Parts: sequence; C-alpha cells; structure tokens
Amino acid sequence: MLRRLHLELGFAACVFLVGLVGLRGTADLDTGWTSDGPQAGFFPLRVSLILMAASALVALNAWRARVALSRVVVVEGEGGARVLRFGLPILGMVLVAQWLGLYVAMALYLLGAIRFAGGRRWTVALGVAIGVTAVTFVVFERWFSVPLLKGPLEVMLGLG
Amino acid sequence: MLSNLDALMHGFSVALTAHHLLLMVAGVLLGILVGVLPGLGAPNGVTLLLPLTFSMDPVSAIILLTSLYWGALFGGSTTSILFNIPGEPSSVATTFDGYPMARQGRASEALTYAFVSAGIGALVGIVVITLLSSAVASFALRFGPPEYFAVYLLAFASFIAFGGGAPLKTIVSLALGFGFGMMGMDTVSGSMRLTFDIPELIRGISFLVVVIGLFGLGELLLTIEEGPEFKGASGRLDPRGMLRALASMPRYWVAVLRGSAVGVWMGITPGGPTAASFMSYGLARRTSRNGVRFGQGEPEGVIAPETADHAAGTSAMLPMLSLGIPGSATSAVMLGGLMIWGLNPGPMLFIEQRDFVWGMIASMYLGNVIGVILALATVPLFAAMLSVSFSIIGPVIVTVCLVGAYTVAGAPFDLWLAVAFGVAGYLMKKLDYPLAPLVLAMVIGDKAEDAFRQSMLMSSGSLGVLWSNPLVGTLSTIAALFLLWPLASALLGWRRTSKAMRLAPPEPGA
Repeated sequence: MLRRLHLELGFAACVFLVGLVGLRGTADLDTGWTSDGPQAGFFPLRVSLILMAASALVALNAWRARVALSRVVVVEGEGGARVLRFGLPILGMVLVAQWLGLYVAMALYLLGAIRFAGGRRWTVALGVAIGVTAVTFVVFERWFSVPLLKGPLEVMLGLG
Repeated sequence: MLSNLDALMHGFSVALTAHHLLLMVAGVLLGILVGVLPGLGAPNGVTLLLPLTFSMDPVSAIILLTSLYWGALFGGSTTSILFNIPGEPSSVATTFDGYPMARQGRASEALTYAFVSAGIGALVGIVVITLLSSAVASFALRFGPPEYFAVYLLAFASFIAFGGGAPLKTIVSLALGFGFGMMGMDTVSGSMRLTFDIPELIRGISFLVVVIGLFGLGELLLTIEEGPEFKGASGRLDPRGMLRALASMPRYWVAVLRGSAVGVWMGITPGGPTAASFMSYGLARRTSRNGVRFGQGEPEGVIAPETADHAAGTSAMLPMLSLGIPGSATSAVMLGGLMIWGLNPGPMLFIEQRDFVWGMIASMYLGNVIGVILALATVPLFAAMLSVSFSIIGPVIVTVCLVGAYTVAGAPFDLWLAVAFGVAGYLMKKLDYPLAPLVLAMVIGDKAEDAFRQSMLMSSGSLGVLWSNPLVGTLSTIAALFLLWPLASALLGWRRTSKAMRLAPPEPGA
C-alpha cells in the first residue's frame, strides 16, 4: 500500500533532484545577463532553481497536510501488483530491443505478457505475438518504408 | 468577413476531393479507435501517426491528423458512457452522468446526446475560427519578437491561472517541460546545454517521445491498476432512444450555448479540452435548474462537458494556426508536425499557405460531420472490440507505443525515455500534476526563449521593451496579472471556481 503523503514527498524529491542535476549542468555555461540579454545558461539556471523551489514548496504543503494525506491510499496492494506485473515486462522488452531489435523484443514481450501476465492459452499468445509483429513489419518496412530497430536475427534472415 | 467566406469556399474546393474525404474517414475511424482504447488518446494518437505523414503533402497530412483528433474526441465519449472508462482525459466528466444513463438502459440516448452536442460544440469552435483566424493573423503580422514573447508568456501564465490544477504543480510541470526542451543545442549561441556529455542527448529530448510516455504508457498503467476487464452496458443501439434524444436536444440549448462558450474560451487560452469539460460540467451543475439531478443520469450533465470538450478541441486550432501557439497538448503535437512538414506556423501561413490553412478549416467542418455519423454508426463495433480482454489489448497497445517512440528519431535510447516518461506520467497523474503544460512548454519553450532573447538583443538587455508600445505593454501586463492570479485568489480565499474544476479524478468504479 502506498499512501498519498509518501508519494507526494517522493515525487517532489525526484523533481528536486532533476532541478539539482539541471543546476549541475549549467555549471559550465554562461548564466549571466549581458548587454545583449540573457546568455545560454541564464534560463537553464533559473528553471533549475524554480524546479527546486517549487518541489520544496509542494513537499512543504504535503507535510503540512500530512495527517489528511497519510490517510489517502493512492496505490493499493492488488492494483500496485497489477501495475508491476504489467510494467516490468515492458522494461524487459526495451532491454531486449537494444540488442535483438524491436521485432524480436516485441514478439517475445507479447508472448510473455499474454501467456504469463494475462494467463491466456499458448495458442492465443503465439497467434497475437506473431500476427502483430508480422503486421508491424509489413506496415513499417514495406508500406511506409520506416525502418525499425533490427537485430542479428533479421540480418541472419536477410531482412535487415 | 466576406473575404473569409470566399477563402472558406476556396478551402472547401481544396478539401472536397475524393482523396481528402477518404483521408477524413480513415482519420476519424483511426481516431475513434485510438479514443476508445485506453492508453491511446488524441495526443499520442497524433504522435504515433506523425512519422507516417512525413512523405505526404501538408494539406493531406493535416487533414488526416485533425480528423484523427476529432475521431479521438468522439471515441473517448463512447467508452465513458458505456464502460465508465474515459478513453480520453477530456471525457472524464462525461462519465459522471453518461454512465448512470447507460446503466438505466438509456445508453443510446446518452450517446446521441454526447455526439450531437459534441458536434455542435465543434461547429461553434470552427465558426469562431473561420470568422476570427485571419483577423488574428493579420493583427499578429505586426508582431515583433517582444510581442511574440508576450503572447507566449500569456499562454504559460493562463495555464497557471486557469489550468485547473494546483498552481504550484502547474509550475512544476511547466518548468520540467522548459528544462527538457532546453536540452541539446542552444539555437541562439550554438553551445550545448544540459547534455552532460551524453551523446544521445545532443539532439535533445523529442517531445513526441515524451507524449508517448506520459499520455500512452502512463495512462495504460493507470488503466491496468483499476482492474483489467471492461464491464459495461451493451453497445447495441436503439433507434427510438436516439430519435427521442434528438427530439429533446433543442430543450438544452442553454447548456449547449454555455458549454460552447466555455469550450471556445478554454481552447483559445491554452486551458485545453480537459479543463473545459470539467469547468462546463461544474458550471452547468451550479447554474442549471436540473442541477440537483446531476450525477444520476441527467442528459444535461452529458451535454455540458461534451459540448465544451469539442468546442475547446477545435478552437485550440485558432491560436495554433494564427499565432503558432498551441491551445492543447494535441495541437502542440500538430504544431510540431507543421514544422516538420516545412511550414512555419504563425500569421505568415495565412498569406503563404492559403490552400493549407483554408483547406484545413474546411476539412474541420466536414471531418466533424463525418465524425458524428461514424461515431454513432460504429458504436456497436467498438463496444464489441472492448470485450476482447484487456490482457491481450493492453500489451498490443504497449508495442504500438514503443514502436511509435522508436520511429520518432530511429534511436534505441528513445525507448528508455518513453518508459521513463511513462512512469513519470503515471505518478504525475496519481498526484494531480497537469500533463498538458509540460508538453506545451517543451514545444514552445525554446521559441519563447528565442523571442525573449531576440527582444533583449533589440533593447540591449533592457526589459523595458516588453512595455515599449501599447500592444506589447497590454499583453505583458495581462500575462503578469495572470501569473499573480493564484496568489491573489489565495489571498482572497476565492477558490470556489477552481474547486469546481478540480472535481476530477473520479473514484474508480464509482
């Protein structure tokens, strides 16, 4: 179970961190304002500072309302588990796509997600995985000639 | 005015070809599909289709994309009413009364009310565009960098003042958008900014990838969390219910008028369709004679948000065309498309690209009429499609989103970005951070910065140029007032209007 208060504080911390990274990024830029106006780093610096200030204020507001917010459940155990079961395979697909290409990753992901996370029969999962991948291949590579990421398998089959 | 009518007729001659009509039908159908499927909405539907339009001529491309937008707006209402699942964020308010009507067996009526009032709202928005756009554009021709900056500032400021979210969270969204938009090469000085010596970041972060993550993957995660299966009313349409709804439609002219006005206003100022539909629903509930019955299946509670939703969706094209400033997340994506097709959004479009501008405006009339008809005709089809289990549709949508993210630039790195923004979108939705400002800031943030820095070059670094003539002075002053609005209203404790708009999000399953 995830309570609203913790999520508010956690996300505000992330935003603060983004601001901090941005601030670090402006270190080697000219952040000044000369006679021809603001320099390259002027706005990045201000935006970073605004991010840090605003996220700190959001966190402060959340803390001031902590009694009410800690009673609000934003993610229940069951729903959260569903999100993870759905989300982690997506990460897997992106990881696999980096070295095996999008088509293979896509087919494997669909197969896995429909068979295991979705609990469908093998035939259904296989059919959707192969069908969607094939349609995507035809639409992108043949009809619109937009090449997608390919890996060793496509090269081996002479499709790359 | 009369010259506009001439131009519109010319536009119809551009739009009324078999090829373009076919594109409209295809766009509307794709749009309804995208609108019906949770996780795919208007902004990322347009984003996903965009790479496929690069080889088209701009008129055909914009007709396809805008038709998809109208279709998505219609399709979002179908699922809201039948399944209590808003297919689009902007049709959340439609669930409040639409779903109760469907549960009472009045789904046909509710859908007819929704589509017809949406069509009327859209038409009002388009009429406003027809009448005003060229006037706004010729007015904007006199704009220099300071005026442009002031208008951009006004756009951002009105998000903070009227966007409907907590002002502080809107600021976070805007600032995140500005920050991501700044990454890569600085257009004025040519130096690299915020790239942290990572080669993938040199071309910056594409807002299209961000849209796919925030609106696509993020929305999917939310849907899956609420429960994987659709349970809803039957999609069978009853002609008698439809006729009954059509016959009683004129009784609700006040709601239609009010909704259109709210929608047009929210579309032109970048509040967007989502804020418009909530605001219109809230207003209707407070001012209508039937106010007490809202939430229990009151037709006016369907008509009010739907009219405003579509009026805002269409009128958001006015600032996009004539000023180059998008009024919603979707029109922000289209603005990006315009630039990719080699067009320069803004007032010069009306002089240099008359075919494009008026062809698009004419296609909006046709596209929405086609939309109403197709939306009604395909309800049974799409309702049946949703009975396919989400355990199959969900993963397929994921692959569509990721493939779309890859096609934006052909970069494997963008897949990681899309996933990261998907998680961010999920969390931001959970915490009521508005997403549209982030996209808007990414799209026009660097244009705003360029305009500002050019103004500063003109004035040797003095801010006085923003008040150097009555026009820019007025714009800057209004923008400054909007920026101070949340502070002022907080001080006055005058938050009732924004409370009505923050009615979202609904309880799952309520």
